[in-house]
Amino acid sequence: MRLGLKGRFVVFVSAIIITFGVVLTALSVRAQSARLRHELEDRGKLLTTVIAANATDALAKLEVRELRNMISEARDQENVLDAVAFDEDGRVLTDGTVVNPRRHMLISEAALRHATGSEALLVEFDGEAMTVTKPLHLGGQVLGGVRVRYSLAGLAEDQASLARRTAKVGAIFALMGVLAAALLAEAVTRPLNEVIRATRALSEGKPVPRLAVRTADEVGELAEAFNEMTRKLRDTTVSRDYLDRVLETMGECLVVTGPDGTITRVNSAVCSLSGVGEDELLGQNCRDLFRAPEGHMSLLDALGPDGSAYGLETELLARGGEAVPVLISVGAMEENPERARSYVVVAADIGERLRHEQQKDEFVTMIHHEVRAPLTAVRGAIGLLEGGVAGELGERGQELVKIALRNSERMGRLVNDILASRKLDSGRMAFHLEKIEMMPLIEQAIDSTSAYATNHKVRFELKEAVPGSIVRVDPDRMIQVLTNVLSNAVRFSPTDGVVTVKASRRDQMLRVAVSDAGPGIPEDFRNHVFEAFARGEHDDWRHRSGTGLGMSISKGIIEELGGVITFETELGSGTTFFIDIPESV
Amino acid sequence: MASRLLLGLSLTIAVGCGQPFESSPPGAETAQSVPAGVLTIGSVSLNPTREYEVVRPFADFVAANLHDVGIGRGRVVVVGSLNQMIEELREGRVDLLVDSPFPAVFVWQHTDVEPILRRWKRGSDVYRSVIFTRTDSGVQSVDDLAGKIIAFGEPFSTSGFLMPKAALASAGLRLFNYEDPAASIPGDRVGYVFSNDAENTMFWVLKQKVVAGAVNADYFEALAGDRISELRILLTTEAVPRNVVSVRSSLDPKVIQAIEALLLEMHLSDEGRASLEEFEETTRFDPFPGGPDQDLAHILTLLPHVEEDLGVVRSPR
Repeated sequence: MRLGLKGRFVVFVSAIIITFGVVLTALSVRAQSARLRHELEDRGKLLTTVIAANATDALAKLEVRELRNMISEARDQENVLDAVAFDEDGRVLTDGTVVNPRRHMLISEAALRHATGSEALLVEFDGEAMTVTKPLHLGGQVLGGVRVRYSLAGLAEDQASLARRTAKVGAIFALMGVLAAALLAEAVTRPLNEVIRATRALSEGKPVPRLAVRTADEVGELAEAFNEMTRKLRDTTVSRDYLDRVLETMGECLVVTGPDGTITRVNSAVCSLSGVGEDELLGQNCRDLFRAPEGHMSLLDALGPDGSAYGLETELLARGGEAVPVLISVGAMEENPERARSYVVVAADIGERLRHEQQKDEFVTMIHHEVRAPLTAVRGAIGLLEGGVAGELGERGQELVKIALRNSERMGRLVNDILASRKLDSGRMAFHLEKIEMMPLIEQAIDSTSAYATNHKVRFELKEAVPGSIVRVDPDRMIQVLTNVLSNAVRFSPTDGVVTVKASRRDQMLRVAVSDAGPGIPEDFRNHVFEAFARGEHDDWRHRSGTGLGMSISKGIIEELGGVITFETELGSGTTFFIDIPESV
Repeated sequence: MASRLLLGLSLTIAVGCGQPFESSPPGAETAQSVPAGVLTIGSVSLNPTREYEVVRPFADFVAANLHDVGIGRGRVVVVGSLNQMIEELREGRVDLLVDSPFPAVFVWQHTDVEPILRRWKRGSDVYRSVIFTRTDSGVQSVDDLAGKIIAFGEPFSTSGFLMPKAALASAGLRLFNYEDPAASIPGDRVGYVFSNDAENTMFWVLKQKVVAGAVNADYFEALAGDRISELRILLTTEAVPRNVVSVRSSLDPKVIQAIEALLLEMHLSDEGRASLEEFEETTRFDPFPGGPDQDLAHILTLLPHVEEDLGVVRSPR
């Protein structure tokens, strides 16, 4: 039988207590036995001495009746077997009885010899008794003495009784000790058992109660440490239950594979998307679940040296041969000391997104064919009208034609912006990159926007330049961005305002700063400046805004060119847009 | 002597002034069936309480068996001196007396009681005394005791004192009491001391504390033991009854007859024997073999030598 900690503790403590008790009992019995014997002997000697002292006068006066009464009383004493008073010749005077059958008999020679020469007690042991002789002298004359035979037999009985009592007391103490040990063991192991139960609950994913910290000792510290551990487990989401719920809540598919791609875990999103049950999926290889990304033999083949990959587009092979487009991210996880890798594959269903992209493409195609081409024809026709092809127009007619022309041009810009935005989104915008000096591009953009500025009674000032700085850009796209930023500054400048343009170098970047003295960008719009169709909620803003696509397109182009576009603004003071482009060496 | 007399008187008064020690017969008889007659047993003792407790059961037994003669209950009267007892008898307040031969004869002489039975004690009907000395004492006969000192037992003991003293006195010796055994005794008298115990007497003689001693003849050999050869018996007194039962003569003769008959047959029944045993180890009662006059004649002759001693406060046993 294997004993637990509690059992071992009880056995150990009990063994110590019982051993201690037995040794103590034995020592106690031994000591008390010796003490009992000495006490008994002393009692016998004392009794004899007292009888003798009381008998002295009676012996001196030969008052045998008085002696008889004394000896008779002595015989009634506990443990006294026999008693006599004797004369100087060693003859018995009385044995305490009326009949006195030993009258005149001689006591032992040794006792008589002793009584003749000494007043000291003579003690003679014989079996379980002792005979104490007390000689009595008076004025140097021997009177006789008293002899008492005293039983020591009671000693053995007393010793046995003592041993029994001591053993009983010892047994009671041992039992109490065992009980105390059991209680102590219970007190010690109860918190441990609670920790064990809580640990089991934790390992089985069951709710873990908070352990009571009853003491300030090591056990209490253990309970505290356990509570802290479970709290941290919950906080750090290491909890299996917590993780399971997180994984099952995920909309994305999660697949964990071994080093060879064998699937070891999937969440319900995988089953839902693939139409395959978890039991069936586990043990399969991930190549059976995911089609190899383009240009790779398998999904794992597409991973980088660190075992990770992001933004891989491929297809999840669902039941029935359906292929669901997914965007995959893979992370490598080293689970054990052997550093064997597991892979965590997160796949998002992008079918819907692709369908939206397709719809957008179809919309753009529709705009291109159904709006832009007719608009070009409309603008051409309006131009012909303006040129008088259809006859001289009256003042009112010319005014209407100009309105039509201005709006058709505006619509044309809108269509162009929409097409440009879509091209950027779909990555289909073509960039013809070349190394080119930046300053001429800036100047060209200013020139092309000057008329527009003039119309708004705004002028440009190129305050700082970086002559000879080379950038690697598509010149047309760069001019498109600069023009957009400049015209934007013009629109928000006050009448007779100045738009300042500065070029500078900054951390191997070429910075172009375009500042206006406009109203500044409202607080609530600043995060939406670069969003498509963002035009602000304020009337003044909406009035000044263009199509709402310019800054979005500019940001897309600059980022494609490896740069960034940012701004600083202050209400009532104006806004500065910064275009940072890597300077080409 | 005077002090002893005073003590005796005071005890008599104490007992006399108190209610008589009465007892009813045992049994469940109703008041209507118990005769009204009372039998009073008298006793002389220095220890009236103890004496009452000793005599009362006997009185109860006797009374319980005398219903036929009109006795319904027994009563015990304890007095402290023989003179008091004589007074009680004369006044008719005591009906029955059980005592040693010398007091019994003394009372017989001074009242109208009649000795009717002997009382045996411890298996013997009579006893004697021996007067003894060491063989090396130089005393050959009682006459040689003149100018010497002898030890008697207790002052009220018949065998230890009254009989030997009376015997020595009747032999013509003049006896005087001394306190100190070592006292110097004139040559015309014999000094005596009370050892108060036969064993004391024996050892005093053996150890030459006194020249001679007197003890009950029945115990002499036992007391002497193996040293009997060291002793010489100077005198053995004549046998006298151990105890005498006397009744008041004025008591109804039918009652006296019934008492006599009852006592004579007590030892024949278990109940009777038990009562006898309880009454100081009494063996039985029997008639005087030669009649009271003959059997008590010797006592009567000795009585004058100890009358003075009987007047001394004493116990009957």
